Amino acid sequence: MAVVVGLSALGAGLSGCDDPSGESGFAGLAESGGQAEASAFLQPKPGTRLVFPDDWGPHPQHRIEWWYFTANLTTPEGRPLGVQWTQFRQALQPRPAAKAPPSPATWPMDSAWMAHGAISFNGDHWFEEKVARGDIGHAGASADPFRVWLDDWELAPISESDAWHLQVQGDNWDYDLTLSNTGNITAHGDGGFSAKSSSGEGSMYFSLAHLNVTGTVTVAGRTQAVSGKGWFDREWSSQFLKAGQQGWDWFGLHLEDGQKLMAFRLREGDSTFSSGSWVNADGDVESLQEDDLTLSPTAWKESARGRVPVVWQLRVSGRGVDLRVKASPGEHWNAGLVSYWESPVAVSGSHDGKGYMELTGYADQAP
Amino acid sequence: MSGTLLAVERLNLAFVSAGQRVPVINNLTFSVAPGESLAVVGRSGSGKSTLLNLLCGLQTPDDGVIAIDNESFGNASDAVSIARWAELRRQLIGVVFQQANLMPALSLVDNVRLRTHLAGRHKQDELWWLQRLGVGDQADRYPDRVSGGQAQRAALAMVFAMSPSLILADEPTGSLDRHTADEVAESLFNVQVETGCALVLATHDSELAARCGRVLDLSAAG
Amino acid sequence: MLIRAFLSHYQRHPFQLAALVLMIVLATMLWTGVTVLTDQARSSLAQNEETVAARAHIVRTDSQPVGVEDFVRLRKTGVCVAPWLEVKRPAPEGQVIGVDPMSMACFGRSAPIQDAASLDGTPFMDIGDALRVSQEGYDSQLYLIAPRDDIELPQGYALRAFSLAPPTGELADSFLLNLDALSLLVLLITGLLIRSVYRLGLVQREASFELLYRFGVLPRQIRQLLVLELVVLTAVGVPPGLWLGASLAEALGTGFGQALGSLFDLTLYAESFGSLPWRAAVVMVALVLTVCLLEWVFPQPRQPAMVSAYARLGGGALLLAGALGVVLATELVWVFAGTALVFAGVGLLTPPLLAAVEERRSVRSGATASVADPLRRWRARELSVMFRQLALPVVALQFSIAAVLAVHALVTTFESTFEQWLGQRLAADFYIEVPQGGDSATAARRLNALEGLGTWHLVAHGKAQVRPEEAGTGADPLTADLMALTPITDLVSDWALLSSAERSWRELASGAVMVNEQLARRHDVEVGSPLELTIAGTRMRTNVVGIYADYGRPVAEVLLHADTLPAAFTPRSESFSVNKGELSRDVIHDRLADTWGAPDLQVRDNASIRELASQIFDQTFLLTRAISALTLVLAAVALLIMIWVFFTTRVWYFRLLGVWGLQGHQVRRQLRLLSVRLTLTITAAALPLGIWLTWVLVNRINPLAFGWSLPMDLYPVFWLELGLMAGAAGLLVAHLMRRQLERDANGERP
Repeated sequence: MAVVVGLSALGAGLSGCDDPSGESGFAGLAESGGQAEASAFLQPKPGTRLVFPDDWGPHPQHRIEWWYFTANLTTPEGRPLGVQWTQFRQALQPRPAAKAPPSPATWPMDSAWMAHGAISFNGDHWFEEKVARGDIGHAGASADPFRVWLDDWELAPISESDAWHLQVQGDNWDYDLTLSNTGNITAHGDGGFSAKSSSGEGSMYFSLAHLNVTGTVTVAGRTQAVSGKGWFDREWSSQFLKAGQQGWDWFGLHLEDGQKLMAFRLREGDSTFSSGSWVNADGDVESLQEDDLTLSPTAWKESARGRVPVVWQLRVSGRGVDLRVKASPGEHWNAGLVSYWESPVAVSGSHDGKGYMELTGYADQAP
Repeated sequence: MSGTLLAVERLNLAFVSAGQRVPVINNLTFSVAPGESLAVVGRSGSGKSTLLNLLCGLQTPDDGVIAIDNESFGNASDAVSIARWAELRRQLIGVVFQQANLMPALSLVDNVRLRTHLAGRHKQDELWWLQRLGVGDQADRYPDRVSGGQAQRAALAMVFAMSPSLILADEPTGSLDRHTADEVAESLFNVQVETGCALVLATHDSELAARCGRVLDLSAAG
Repeated sequence: MLIRAFLSHYQRHPFQLAALVLMIVLATMLWTGVTVLTDQARSSLAQNEETVAARAHIVRTDSQPVGVEDFVRLRKTGVCVAPWLEVKRPAPEGQVIGVDPMSMACFGRSAPIQDAASLDGTPFMDIGDALRVSQEGYDSQLYLIAPRDDIELPQGYALRAFSLAPPTGELADSFLLNLDALSLLVLLITGLLIRSVYRLGLVQREASFELLYRFGVLPRQIRQLLVLELVVLTAVGVPPGLWLGASLAEALGTGFGQALGSLFDLTLYAESFGSLPWRAAVVMVALVLTVCLLEWVFPQPRQPAMVSAYARLGGGALLLAGALGVVLATELVWVFAGTALVFAGVGLLTPPLLAAVEERRSVRSGATASVADPLRRWRARELSVMFRQLALPVVALQFSIAAVLAVHALVTTFESTFEQWLGQRLAADFYIEVPQGGDSATAARRLNALEGLGTWHLVAHGKAQVRPEEAGTGADPLTADLMALTPITDLVSDWALLSSAERSWRELASGAVMVNEQLARRHDVEVGSPLELTIAGTRMRTNVVGIYADYGRPVAEVLLHADTLPAAFTPRSESFSVNKGELSRDVIHDRLADTWGAPDLQVRDNASIRELASQIFDQTFLLTRAISALTLVLAAVALLIMIWVFFTTRVWYFRLLGVWGLQGHQVRRQLRLLSVRLTLTITAAALPLGIWLTWVLVNRINPLAFGWSLPMDLYPVFWLELGLMAGAAGLLVAHLMRRQLERDANGERP
């Protein structure tokens, strides 16, 4: 309830929940705001390029962005354990890069941060959501040195190393992980501009898909050492969805042979828009278009919060990739201000593997 | 005294029941002289009680004239008529019912006292009247503590004590046993003759009716 | 067929049926309303105590004011903390409090606001907006509040209590205990009222029951039908009463909630409802069945005369026993028992007493025959009969009116007591706590030097061991709170003392002490009693020169002049109470902050606290007055019903007066005289009982429960109001009888 307080105080509101026409899309991401505002925000376009190290940090002139991490881990007993962490930034007022941020002492309300942490293990799901006012100091991100934090949750580099440290605490669970990157930056779409519709709305999007993860997870009363593969996403935009798109289905898959597949499908009524990236064992990225990629749900589950597709068929033409992707058992809803499904998946078919799946726009009601 | 004390002319009263007009008193004409005793007889429901009510102004006729002591009353129910009737009932007309003639909260003598006070008489002969009617030794008792016959006697004492010109008695002995009824009736007629007041007596008891000077049969007349 | 015969009485007297159902509805409504309101008042006071008084805020151990950096630092270590910016904007716009709803997400249920709609500036608003308001030129103070007082903090930070109002202590508890006692009385009254209406009808039906019996209907069957009838009546009457009572309570409760809603969430109240009305329903059903079917358990004896003699004797005995019990009791439960006995005794004695009074009146009327007014005598005798025959409703009404009197006195007394208590506690304009390590002596000197300052004093708080010398050397000393004042100004010398010696305040300077009422009562200390005080290891002999009322403070307290303290004494805490005089708050603040090097010194403004505390109690009293009003209404309605039902059984005899020649308006006049005298007499009979009940509540129940007494005040104006109401009820009844009288003269004879 109090969280509703927090985020309903935001002007734009991340809640597209009372929008039956779907005009504002999932979580209001299809909203474009008023004309004047729209022009003040920057919007990625085909041709926009990634700039490092700046793009690790926040983009105050973009409306929405996130840092997103999932990991498929294994416990000492060999059981799979999935971990997710996401931190969102929503800008209420655009701020050009040259302009200095407002002073914290003025308690500004130019932006708001939200962080999600989740664990999926043994058919159970744990989730926590935190919110914070922006430009105060207790939540934020920086590009160099790279850091993302909200209260006592933090993703930060480990000194004297290239690895990152991620610590997240929930009510009765926590994880403390070390992320080591073993690959290159994967820029999606056209040099980082990932289109989300045929008319060109989209975002800047890159990933680190080759993360080795170790650490400890405390959940269900036990602390265990874990290790496995991780996937880090970085995405930002000001008009993410086209008006009318209700949500998306996203997959980040680690295949046994070292290849990676990122695929997503945006849903708009009866039609869809798909896109993806194929990363081969050497780390070369190939952008997959609509014709190359087929994503179709093959089995549904009547879950507590709505009907969700939990088994999928993913095909990449010309590569002999025909995958059956199945969500791990249980209900894996991230039930915060807005509900979405986030779960580990098992891959079989032409390739074996595992990964993570995110399904948005399926929840029946506002939480 | 000569003349008419009570004169009734073409008296009519009907009840309206289920949309039908049921005549109770039908074009009744009669008169009563001072000191006379008239028995009003008839079947049950023939209007005996109603007639007595009309004769003391407790009910108003549909039309016709009732004249008491040369004062005429028609079917008017205005304030003046009502006040006049009340006045008559206070001082001139005494009414005795079959039962419940006395205030239960007052003793017999206090009942008589109240009655005479209302009648404006202050002769303070209440006790005497009770004795005359044979209930002198019950004077301080309450009406629910004396027998039915004694209560009726006290009621009669009360009525006589106000020196009425006319007594209307509605089945005064109706709830008494034969023996007591006879005794009470005896007292009634004796005192009536003594005081010279007129008496209109409604009864179904033929023997009682026979003791009156005249009989008015409502079933025949109506 | 049997059922039809059974119910035929109600066909002829539909009003009695309606009256009975109405009584059940009203009684249920009253009882439900009372229990819901009392429970609500209790839980709301508890919740408010908790929410208002027990909050924590975080301070820096280096006494520097907290700022946004501290907020950030704390949040980053995982502490749940939220900013609270108080902007002291004067009336009429008033104070605003800036908050950040997002950081309060971790407060859960103890968050001061629960939905965004309450960020409208009354008094909460977004902290950024509040800051802008303060920049218009108002004082502001930033606090960092925490949801509980037991959280762990990193180095450099400490928790302090953050209270918005002084805790009300036992004042509230006492009030609620008395309310409970009255609720029971209300239940008793409603039981009696229902019973009387029911019995009246039953008596009239005895003849028809006899008839049925003669026709071969078994008594068992008649009893079964009676029970069935009662169950149906209850089923019809109780639910509407429950709904009415709960609605009424909700209407009043919401008002309460709204008054506090400017600071606290309305949902504090929503959860008070739900299960309560069902409890009330069960109680009512049990009550109705019990009081109406009492005869089956305790059959009525056949000789009324004997009964009345026993009743009078028994009544007197009960009254005496109860009164003695109440006066002598040393425990609360015996006071309640004694009160119950007194009520029982009064209940037995009142009807015969009132009847006897009327008898004497009637005898006197008739004594001198020449000036006799037989009509007056008739009225007196009628009243005498009425009091005997209507004993039960008369007593029930007497109890109701007494209860109303007591509630009124109770509430009014509490209100004024509370005002006094607030005044005593918050006498000065400002209250300043001396920070740890602050030099109070220097501060006192510097305050003294401030031109234009109003009266002020310094209070040193500590503990002392007290032993009343009269208690003997073997008695254990008790620990009392110590308040050492200097200088003694009119800030305290205006206190109303319960008892005092001559020039008591002056005596303090010579070493005498004053004690609070708790200490005096519990340990038999009086003015002039010698006391042995041990302060900081030093023993002192002193005597008591005054006892002050300290409503609701459960601890013993000793007050003395600071100059008499032994040198070894170090206070636990010190505070200044300051009247600003001609100066502004800032000047005082700066002077003291300067002295102690504490720029974030808190100067608490007593006026706004007083305002808040008053608001809280105002609404509590509103609830109680509502209970009182409900009872009064029930009593009035019962009075009406009862008299009317009784009068209808006497209609024939009233008409007899008409037959005997009284005009209509004259008969009505007699009726009016009868009914008004009846209602006024009952009210008059309730007065002594009501006064006595008030005395018991403030002088016996309260001291035994809490150790301090309330002042006993009488409110004759209210008695007058009750009398007027009684008179009006009497006139109304007489008016309603008109139609009965004007009916056909051939109407039923008894």
